[in-house]
Amino acid sequence: MSAAPFLNSLRDRYLFESAQIRSAFETSGDGLAAIHARTALVDKLVLRATEPLLALEGIAVVALGGYGRRSLFPFSDVDLMFLCANDSTKSNARVSIRQASQDLWDMRLKLSPTTRTPAECDRLDPENIEFTISLLDARFLAGDRKLFERLSSETIPNLIRRERQPIVNSLAQRTKQRHEKFGETIFHLEPNIKEVPGGIRDYNVTCWLLHLAEKNHSDEVNAASLQRAFHFLADARVFLHYSAGRDDNKLSWEVQDRAAAKAIGIAEKQGMDATSWMRAYFRHARSIERAAAKLLKESSTQRPTLYAQLRRWRSRPSDSGLIVEDGRVAFQKSLHFNEPSDVLRLFEFVAAEGADLSAETESRLRQTLPELVAHMPWAEAGRSLTTILKSPHAAHALRAMHAVGLLEQIVPEFQLIDSLVVRDFYHRYTVDEHTFTAIDNLHRLSDRENQWEKHLSELQNQLESPEALYFALLMHDLGKGLNTREHTSGSVELARPALDRLGIPDQIKDTALFLIGGHLEMSSAMRRDIFDPENIKAFATKIASPERLRLLCLMTYADIRAVNPDALTPWKAENLWRLFVGAMNQLNRGMDDDLIHATAENEQVARLHSLIPKRSRQLNGFLEGLPRRYLLSHTSDQIAVHFDMSLRLSHEPISVGLKMSSELYELSIVTNDRTFLFAKIAGTMAAWGMNIVKANAFTNAAGVVVDSFYFKDRFRTLELNPSEREHFKHSVADVISGKKDLQELLRRRAAEPSVTMKVTPNINMDNESSSHSTLMEVVAQDRPGLLYLIASEISQQACNIELALVDTEGQTAIDVFYLTHKHKKLSSGLANSLRDRIISQL
Amino acid sequence: MTKLEAVIQPSKLEAVKEALIEIGVEGMTVLEVRGHGRQKGHTEFYRGREYTVDLLPKIKLEIVMPDELVDKAVQAIVANARSGKIGDGKIFLTKIDDAIRIRNDERGAAAL
Repeated sequence: MSAAPFLNSLRDRYLFESAQIRSAFETSGDGLAAIHARTALVDKLVLRATEPLLALEGIAVVALGGYGRRSLFPFSDVDLMFLCANDSTKSNARVSIRQASQDLWDMRLKLSPTTRTPAECDRLDPENIEFTISLLDARFLAGDRKLFERLSSETIPNLIRRERQPIVNSLAQRTKQRHEKFGETIFHLEPNIKEVPGGIRDYNVTCWLLHLAEKNHSDEVNAASLQRAFHFLADARVFLHYSAGRDDNKLSWEVQDRAAAKAIGIAEKQGMDATSWMRAYFRHARSIERAAAKLLKESSTQRPTLYAQLRRWRSRPSDSGLIVEDGRVAFQKSLHFNEPSDVLRLFEFVAAEGADLSAETESRLRQTLPELVAHMPWAEAGRSLTTILKSPHAAHALRAMHAVGLLEQIVPEFQLIDSLVVRDFYHRYTVDEHTFTAIDNLHRLSDRENQWEKHLSELQNQLESPEALYFALLMHDLGKGLNTREHTSGSVELARPALDRLGIPDQIKDTALFLIGGHLEMSSAMRRDIFDPENIKAFATKIASPERLRLLCLMTYADIRAVNPDALTPWKAENLWRLFVGAMNQLNRGMDDDLIHATAENEQVARLHSLIPKRSRQLNGFLEGLPRRYLLSHTSDQIAVHFDMSLRLSHEPISVGLKMSSELYELSIVTNDRTFLFAKIAGTMAAWGMNIVKANAFTNAAGVVVDSFYFKDRFRTLELNPSEREHFKHSVADVISGKKDLQELLRRRAAEPSVTMKVTPNINMDNESSSHSTLMEVVAQDRPGLLYLIASEISQQACNIELALVDTEGQTAIDVFYLTHKHKKLSSGLANSLRDRIISQL
Repeated sequence: MTKLEAVIQPSKLEAVKEALIEIGVEGMTVLEVRGHGRQKGHTEFYRGREYTVDLLPKIKLEIVMPDELVDKAVQAIVANARSGKIGDGKIFLTKIDDAIRIRNDERGAAAL
């Protein structure tokens, strides 16, 4: 028989049966069946082509790699090994092997043949680890079966025993490099389903690691979900190969549309849109990626670090009922999976320490989730979520909560953005992952090296309520799940009930909703001219308060940086900072032009009226003419207290309130305006040894002054002697009313140790920014009594403090005063002399 | 063929881009750049610290186009990027010898 007709008939048969496999796939959509069928078909061809070779002794034909696993995709390579008992068999067989390979190539199989002796298989070649790994899937096809059994039951197991760690390390190294190439994320818009994290290669890595492991890790991975995931990817890849007519693994948008229409990989064979289909893809990719990551972490050489962590955790006084083993956290017997508090505490720990959940914990959580949800204590969940969001590994904990389905139970609205793809060229991640990345960006901010990120990191340290920012980031894109043209208002509508359900305090909720609704404001102001005073003013007016500006700036940073790794170019980042500086200056300078008119529509004013229902007229009178900043820097409860104090002014001319919070005391004074008022309060506080950190002074249209001082009790006087609190309040009131002499009080105070000057004092007088007042900005080294010194100098020059904003950043005091002299701006002579007098004392 | 390079205010990019597409410009390269001409930077104080902006953010467009399109493109840019204030930017034109499409070796205007 001549070779040509034999080959021709074999090739025809191959093409015919390949077409049958394809048509079966087009009917059933079953990718696994297709790859198994192709494997069986190629087996038959290989057996026919290698027939002449098998007349020789000591040769076995062995399938390797994907072919060995019976996973031959339509256009995949066929890895074949001719195993020869020894070198002499190998050289005798050379011609026949070449002929067999040639015949298979002629049939258009993409054959990668190799000829080896068992001794060669037994050697680990660091340059060709792939070969050793492909041996893990070796499958006997024909020839000397005993020779093959020696390979599979002696040579390969011995090789693994001997070289396990180098093989595993190399596998881990290669996987890491591959993941880096793909930005270490599963969330690609057009993923290469073979190579990306969570792709088919990662599934293979998982199988190899399970094969290579010393101990049985199969309980570490969720085998059923891993199998389902592989089945989906197999369906998709077979579809891709047939669509492209070659070994193409990129799920382009076009292919996504077609795969979705045919519901490839989906049990219910109903066409769907590409977004839903990609969601299914990401869910499967996520289970593969998690399994691979878990096993890689387990088996790589990182052990010393993990053990070091373990020691650290173990050595911590543990009353938490949690136990950490090999870097994985689990419950001790005292805690219960169906007890919501215990589960929430577990994730608080994960957020604080960055630990992973043990496999058992994860699967038990999945089981008990329905029970947990039925008894969810919402307020406790809200507190716990607040703690988690503020912790350094918040994103890690949120991802883990998302993976077991807990996050969607605490914030059901989050389901809308689960694995949601945004189809544009800028977004690299799905919306849920974008959200986690944004939160992580904030937590990593202090580690960043460049100048403008350092500026932003300083802003972060000044935040009064970081909680609002984290809640805002968590919920800012919920509206994208609604599929409307504009998502921010949808996000606000979804976030509001979610925050209510979790019992988030009004002030945090309001700020979070403001940030969600306005999270694109700063980006759009950046698209206009950031040096144009009108643009800056319009933007600053919308934001209205420095705290909100700080929050929005940080939110914009975190959000843009989470779009894709290159989205926040240094150019854009610098513009963000410039706009922030411009807007902040605008806010501090134009404050007395932006006053409350209590009758105007305002959500907070409306809420105040509902808090104080029977005194609408008096409330309007109290609010009229206060700067709008006052509303934004105080909670409704604080304002209600101030209002109450203002009502008492008829029989108690000076009303003093004192409140403790965890870190700072707040002293509020409501009284009619009088000279030296601010200086006297600051002086009394200095005499008591209190360190003023922040202060603001506001006056309404009727001349009622509302001053708030936030201070540190340096000597714990008020904390250790509760009776001193009343004494302190009286002392403030008596100094203001003149019953007590401030100088006398100050003399009694022991001399303060002198401060080594670090901050060069600087005073800037500005007659332009405000229409009614002269602005004086003082920047100086913070020290006790500083505010008294400045305020008394102002009063001695017969200047009136209309407004004051006092702030401290570390060692630097930054105080802005709005000053008038006889109800007018200061003359330049007076401004200069005031500046010189203060500077000389700083 | 002519290469047009335009330095414009970032805030004018969208309008300029739309106008260019309108007149038939099919592709362009957009770069985020910093620089200054006669519009020197300015200084901003924030919390006692001085921030000098000596190089201002600008957008640079690069387009290679057939010669007959140049006048229209220049007009489109000028009309949409002009505010009349200092700092509106500049347009530079250069003659181009040849262009090659890497994918299929097409040359000259066909490669644009």
